[in-house]
Amino acid sequence: MFTDEKWSSSKNWFIAAVFWIIIGMSMGLLTATKQIWPELLNNRWFTYGHVRSAHVMLVIYAWLSMAYVGSMFYMIPKLAKTKVYSEKLGNFALVFYNVVILEGFFALLFGQTEVIEYGEFPLWVDVQLLVAIGLVAYNLFKTVGRRQEKMLYVSLWYFLGSLLWLPLTWIVGNFPAQWIPSGVQQGLMGWFLGHNAIGLWMTTVGVGQIYYLLPKLTGRPLYSHQLSMIGFWAIATFYVWNGPHHLMNGPIPGWISKAGVIPSIVLLIPVWAVLANFWGTMKGSWSQTRTSVPLRFTVAGTIFYLFACLQGPLQALPSVSSVIKFTHWTVGHAHMGPFGAFSFTSFAAIYYILPKIVGREMFSKRAMEAHFWFSTVGFLVFAFSLWIAGVVQGFAWIEGVPFLQTVLMMEPYVQGRAIGGTMMYVAQFFLAWNMYKTIKLAKLEKKQQAQQQAASA
Amino acid sequence: MERKPSAVLIVALILWTFGVAGTVILPLFDQEINSATASGELRNYPEDSAEARGREIYIQNGCQTCHTQFVRALPADTNQNLGPVTKGGDYKYDLPHLLGSNRTGPDLMWVGLKYNEDWQRQHLIDPQSTSPGTIMPSFDYLSNQELDDLVAYLMSLKPTEERLEEYKKEMSEAKNHN
Repeated sequence: MFTDEKWSSSKNWFIAAVFWIIIGMSMGLLTATKQIWPELLNNRWFTYGHVRSAHVMLVIYAWLSMAYVGSMFYMIPKLAKTKVYSEKLGNFALVFYNVVILEGFFALLFGQTEVIEYGEFPLWVDVQLLVAIGLVAYNLFKTVGRRQEKMLYVSLWYFLGSLLWLPLTWIVGNFPAQWIPSGVQQGLMGWFLGHNAIGLWMTTVGVGQIYYLLPKLTGRPLYSHQLSMIGFWAIATFYVWNGPHHLMNGPIPGWISKAGVIPSIVLLIPVWAVLANFWGTMKGSWSQTRTSVPLRFTVAGTIFYLFACLQGPLQALPSVSSVIKFTHWTVGHAHMGPFGAFSFTSFAAIYYILPKIVGREMFSKRAMEAHFWFSTVGFLVFAFSLWIAGVVQGFAWIEGVPFLQTVLMMEPYVQGRAIGGTMMYVAQFFLAWNMYKTIKLAKLEKKQQAQQQAASA
Repeated sequence: MERKPSAVLIVALILWTFGVAGTVILPLFDQEINSATASGELRNYPEDSAEARGREIYIQNGCQTCHTQFVRALPADTNQNLGPVTKGGDYKYDLPHLLGSNRTGPDLMWVGLKYNEDWQRQHLIDPQSTSPGTIMPSFDYLSNQELDDLVAYLMSLKPTEERLEEYKKEMSEAKNHN
């Protein structure tokens, strides 16, 4: 069952990831639909709060994290010019990780939650998940340890850092609440996880993926090694301080607020360093996005990354936050990084890596095109609905419009979000079908080849 | 360092530790969030009281995903008449915290001030009957016991008389000022 076939870990993590994007996004679509028809599937298990929690946890820790691990099981050995330390362990960790995710999913539907956003699984699931992440990190650190290439390419820096930060951050965020002296203190620790699951895992692995993919897909060297170092250390220095901005203008002392808000704004530095480097690398290659879908996914990802990172520091300004906090805007922004930027780069990674490891082109280019356009157009409809909704809602509250009336005002935007969301969801079936066909045909072709060889021998 | 993964990891760990020290460890020593206010004491529910059980039901049903308990000194909150601005000490006994991040529904920090028990119960069973057009789902699948406990919790969410007077005075002063 736990094969040590070359690249099997990478392939199997990808397959599991795509399975979970369908489940995770169907939970998201149900969340959006429940805001239009509140009584839809309304029972003890599928109540709005459960479905929303399950959506968030599944898309982050099941889909995106598994896609990331799949990428790293290919990219890290490639960059280290060696093979994976143990494919067997990689496959074992995958099965274990999936069992844990399944436990977490059911726990949330049964109403067991730790409340901490991005850390909602109950403690007994957290502990297991930590072990699973630890197994992956151990395997990949060992792989780097056996490297033949002495220079550490920038993607490796990002991957190494992320594999260290995620488990540590997971521990701080999920620290048992009853051992901490205050509700607000627990809030700070919860948001430490909430923000750094994004900053020190989603962002850093995603950026590492882009640094790997862009030169491969364009055939050009990275624009500036120096700039990539500045970007890495600036992210490592400032991102980790961002948690408190989630409690800004609220029940935290002024000094904590400043300690959170200032680094949030300073983040503009690494973001520009990273993006200048991406787009510098793209120089002269933009036309290739017309023909290469993986490159187009990567570039669209960098553009959405820019959007997300313009919004982030802006929202960290207390005056801006006072309008848009708690509104639909936040939900729009929260999808920008995980879906717009980093799911897109993970799609690109799958399309780039899968053909290399199964030894066959992707089955359908048309399905790839459809995946891209449905994802992109759907996401734009989704995101713009929520941003406009958030601004309208924010100013209506300031003007003192009664709350219930502001809910009614949101109806058309909420519908727009559901329509965009449906397109985003449908898009993923093109990915799943294309992957299934590709892997199946690759197996068939290998078998035929073997038969031919046997016949001619 | 470009050849030494261990060096990268050590520096990455040190930078991470600075962030933890600043935003997680240092706040432990701040009295503003670590000593309860009088209104915070009201939330120190005895174990297995109706309020404590109701709080569990609130969490189990994910109420915190739509409702915040977080009142800011900002027009968006004061103009919505949410009640006194909250302080760190109000949450001293809130474990886990229910501050929330999204107002799909209104803030509930002081909801016990606003309606009576009958209204709360009716609202949970049939939200449309009390708030036409609302997108809150019905919680009619809860047992009578569960509804009683949840209503007891919601009704307990209020500030002390003193805090309320203070707030009313501030509000009228602000109005006169305009």
